[in-house]
Amino acid sequence: MRGKWILVVGILSLCFLVTLSAFAELPGGIPREETLIVDQLTGRVGTPSNFNLWAGWRWQDRGLQQLAMEPLWTVDYATGEIIPGLASEMPIYNQDFTQMTVKLREGITWSDGVPITADDVVFTIDLHAQNGNLPYHGPMAEFVSKAYKTDDHTAVVELKKPNSRFHTNFLDRWGCLRIMPKHVFEKVDPVTFEFNPPVSSGPYVLYDYDPAGFWTLWERREDWDKTPTGILYGKPQPKYVLFQAFESAEARILAQLRHELDMAQHTLEGLRAVLEKGNTVRAWRKEWPWVVNIDPCITGIMFNNMVKPYDNREVRWALTLAIDIVDYMAIAFDLMAPVSALHLPPVPAYKEAFFIPMEDWLKNFELDLGNGEKFKPYDPEVPLKLAEAAKKRGYAVPEDPEAIRDLFGLGWWKYAPDVAEKLLKKNGFTRGDDGKWRLPDGSPWKINIVADVNVASHPLRNATAVAEAWRKFGIDVNLSPTEARESLILNGEFEVCDQWPAGEPWGAGVDLSRTFNVWHSSLLTPIGKPVALGPGMAARWANPKLDAIIDKMQVTDPFADIEGTRLLGIEALKVVVEDMPTIPTYGYCGAVAWDEYYWTNYPGAENPYSQPYQHWPNFKYMLPFLQPKKQ
Amino acid sequence: MRFVRDYLIPRLIQYVLVIFFGITAVFLIPRLTGQDPVLEVIAQIQTQGASLDPVAVKSLMESLRELYGLKGTLGEQYLTMWKRIFSLDFGPSLFQFPAPVSMLLRIYLPWTIGLFATSTILAWILGNILGGVAGYFSQKRWSKVLDAVIMLIRPIPHYIFGVILLILFAYLWAIFPAGGLMLGRKAVFNLRFVMTVLRYSFLPALTLVILGGAAWFQQMKLLVQNIKREDFVQYASAGGVKERILISRYVMRNAMLPQVTQLALVLGQVFSGVLMVEMVFSYPGMGLLLYRGVTRGDYNLVMGITVLSIFTITTAVLVLDLLYPLLDPRIRHR
Repeated sequence: MRGKWILVVGILSLCFLVTLSAFAELPGGIPREETLIVDQLTGRVGTPSNFNLWAGWRWQDRGLQQLAMEPLWTVDYATGEIIPGLASEMPIYNQDFTQMTVKLREGITWSDGVPITADDVVFTIDLHAQNGNLPYHGPMAEFVSKAYKTDDHTAVVELKKPNSRFHTNFLDRWGCLRIMPKHVFEKVDPVTFEFNPPVSSGPYVLYDYDPAGFWTLWERREDWDKTPTGILYGKPQPKYVLFQAFESAEARILAQLRHELDMAQHTLEGLRAVLEKGNTVRAWRKEWPWVVNIDPCITGIMFNNMVKPYDNREVRWALTLAIDIVDYMAIAFDLMAPVSALHLPPVPAYKEAFFIPMEDWLKNFELDLGNGEKFKPYDPEVPLKLAEAAKKRGYAVPEDPEAIRDLFGLGWWKYAPDVAEKLLKKNGFTRGDDGKWRLPDGSPWKINIVADVNVASHPLRNATAVAEAWRKFGIDVNLSPTEARESLILNGEFEVCDQWPAGEPWGAGVDLSRTFNVWHSSLLTPIGKPVALGPGMAARWANPKLDAIIDKMQVTDPFADIEGTRLLGIEALKVVVEDMPTIPTYGYCGAVAWDEYYWTNYPGAENPYSQPYQHWPNFKYMLPFLQPKKQ
Repeated sequence: MRFVRDYLIPRLIQYVLVIFFGITAVFLIPRLTGQDPVLEVIAQIQTQGASLDPVAVKSLMESLRELYGLKGTLGEQYLTMWKRIFSLDFGPSLFQFPAPVSMLLRIYLPWTIGLFATSTILAWILGNILGGVAGYFSQKRWSKVLDAVIMLIRPIPHYIFGVILLILFAYLWAIFPAGGLMLGRKAVFNLRFVMTVLRYSFLPALTLVILGGAAWFQQMKLLVQNIKREDFVQYASAGGVKERILISRYVMRNAMLPQVTQLALVLGQVFSGVLMVEMVFSYPGMGLLLYRGVTRGDYNLVMGITVLSIFTITTAVLVLDLLYPLLDPRIRHR
């Protein structure tokens, strides 16, 4: 009897202890109401004690690039602006682009109190030019002839050869060459040094981290007003910012519903769950379709242009016209993303500069079907068709045509299987008795698509939708999700894949060189050797007309000659549309959810004062605008 | 001496050969998957659109191959691997470069041993006792009910069961934390730390104990039901041996032999961890480490974990083979 009582008391005590501390305790006992907790996009940190992001991949989105580092310049695709950080203004080039001058902001210091000066800029550039083991060694060694300062706030870089885009090495768009603290790095080996604790140029310093890599905690600097963030936007509101990694979508959802996670990026299904169950959770857009649809990344399908029959422009166009984009979008993303006929994401700055000005050209663009027959493939009615389909699914779709173009994009290619058939037959393809397509040599046409393994990812969503479209058209399609996807794509060991169809542009300004440079014929790489960049470049395509435009871009100042830069971008886009080396489908959409239990005034669609992601480097510029709710 | 010549030496040679071929297979398999660890790192850097000049990436690839020790022919890399194994240095993790594999093992292994070993042993004890008793009294009503409940639980996958527990005890009745926020800290041996670890490990452990225990239960129940019908048990029963003695000394003891063997083999799997449970509860264990190594083509990390795993399991089997006569007097090495 006594034994039973001891057992009962023991169980009750355990329950009591457990209940007392049910909710997640924050590291170091810091107050929850002063802490912003955000989801770490790239997951658990693999190098928890190492903060030296100059020496290689160090899970820089653990707060390193967002809170500890201020670059010279940062891209903001939501506002379409380039934000000068450590620099006080845009770079200044000489006439022939062989010299770049950087003016630094005055009154800014490292977190240990040492002023940030032109010495740091010169040191960073020199060190990278000399040390072959640092990732940015390549461009520094190739271009830098000499770097020096003319005063404490002016650094000059002389280049070995003209380069009007040399500054882009320092323009932060989820990564760039950031300025190092000279007084720290001049005493150490920059490759093996762990930089722990990091000396910050940004408004936060390291407070603590998990040796297993699940979380990193940052504290606001006492002297935040001596950082570009503080000078530009004021005091960052959260005293602490905690980056936490979740290994499962379910744990992330539950954490947000328990108010233990303020900012997260979910799967689409996860977003729906937190919006439905969480009373204080909101998405980027307060109403359907909720998701961030201004991301500077275009999704779609990539052909390997070195593999037959995808080396044939008309085959690529036939496969494009075999897609019914309304069905495609319904399968891929439940009609929630904006389509794009161009190899460019439909971000606000690009709509104005490229999409709208190119509409007439797109409407008049013709394909030659042979025998003098022409076909205009562009369909400006696609947004209306998508809106109609969304209404049928019961979604609250606006009636205003402009709002519809905002949600669904400006137009896409017609669904024209009859035209696709003509193009294929023109090139020797035939249909068998079973209705299935045969290659020109008579063998069955089977398309193998190398795809992502993550079912929630946009690449696999695209791959699934295109496989369905092509099967409907009469082609056998084999979808191959594989962990080796990245290696296979970079090495060119694929026919068709779900890689981004074009290099991601800057997302601000009108300079599209970042998208097109990778398609210069000088970078064309044979199959079996890896290309340097997956997006766009892995398509292994080039065009002499595009080469000429890229060469012209190189000698056009993107700051002094904005109109000239924009027109070159339009010409380049036309060349790519004509050849269709890859199929752009829709703009990347982020399923962002914010809990307004502890913090409010996030940069939602109704007030997009900043880009909305917690993993982008400009997250620090969002923090002064957040408002605490519980203090 | 006959035992040494006819059994021990051939068995030791077999032991060495298994380790040699196992490690050779682990060296070759990741290299045949088409994954290139250098390209995986490059792709990771570029995933979010980070800006790297194509020329810069080319030179970066070269320097990474140098740093990772991936230069040279397959044969040279194979020899280097054996040198590393004999010096117990598995080199740096390639995807988590420059973190040494040995350091990663030091960080994650104690967490896995803590969770996996404790819950496996607990599940084994509970499953065997309950299964044994339920098997002996298989005609009783409570035994049938228990069997039915366990039959329902047993097929549930670990991931689903973990999520169910999370929803029940971390959301609907929120008495446990939802994730491993406080786990992974450096161990400091005070009451607060121990309580924290217990609190955060409770649901993952419960998942493993219930699902693992259910499996042991079913095996033990079947074994006991069979042994109960054997002549020597019937004879002892007819001879008036007390039921308690009959269960513990006659039936359970005989049924334990295969269970002990299996426990040793299961414990040997500690190095591969319990991936699904670790994922659900964001628990810092070997399963996640190995999963990341496999999916990212991290040859060194996969090698480090699997070498330890191969060595532990083969050694456990060897030791068991040698010790079996002590457990079961009927077995003799002739």
